[in-house]
Amino acid sequence: MELADRAVGFLLTFTSLSIFTYYTFWVIILPFVDSDNFIHNYFLPQEYAILIPVCAGVVLLSLLCIFIGLVLLKSKKKKA
Amino acid sequence: MLFTSFYSPASHWLCISFFLSCTVLLHLFKGFKWFEIKIRTPELVFIANPVKHVLKLLSLLVVISALWIGLLQASIIPQSHTWLLPIYFIVSLGCYGLFMVGVGLMRFPTCPQEALLLQQDIAEAKDFLKQKGVDVGSN
Repeated sequence: MELADRAVGFLLTFTSLSIFTYYTFWVIILPFVDSDNFIHNYFLPQEYAILIPVCAGVVLLSLLCIFIGLVLLKSKKKKA
Repeated sequence: MLFTSFYSPASHWLCISFFLSCTVLLHLFKGFKWFEIKIRTPELVFIANPVKHVLKLLSLLVVISALWIGLLQASIIPQSHTWLLPIYFIVSLGCYGLFMVGVGLMRFPTCPQEALLLQQDIAEAKDFLKQKGVDVGSN
């Protein structure tokens, strides 16, 4: 249905824009703010700005490799 | 840990100015419309001159990484900021891809009139084949 497609598309754009603004704010703008400002409560400590994308990337790559391995095993089983 | 050891606003300003100069370097892509990498027809994705585009992208990446490594080696930017640039670019690339997919989904043309005409054509073809004796046999 057209409406479901539009809803999914809107959700995707919204999440991508929010992630981008949050990450930009976190990495670029926040170090200029004084350390006792209230806004620091809304953001995690700055080490996580690098840990979280790296962990997400590692998880993504491992899932990809698992998927490829499963597909290869299934094809080999079908041939034998 | 990262971002906490010998951090100073001056070094951070240098990082920011570096990012901005990268956007200036993006003028290599002058004339290339970012929004044209979208699904025009449901089966094909068009980029004009793909080889030239790939070469431009690679040269841009090489220049940016050379400048970043140069800045790091000259100790203008502290070592704790090493991974700032690549991870930021990768995250923004992922966000850009997701954004393009979402926008393409929202603007997908469904062509309701053509769908109706197609249904009429299918009914016509079924009648024709039934007359000739071929059993179409769906539903």
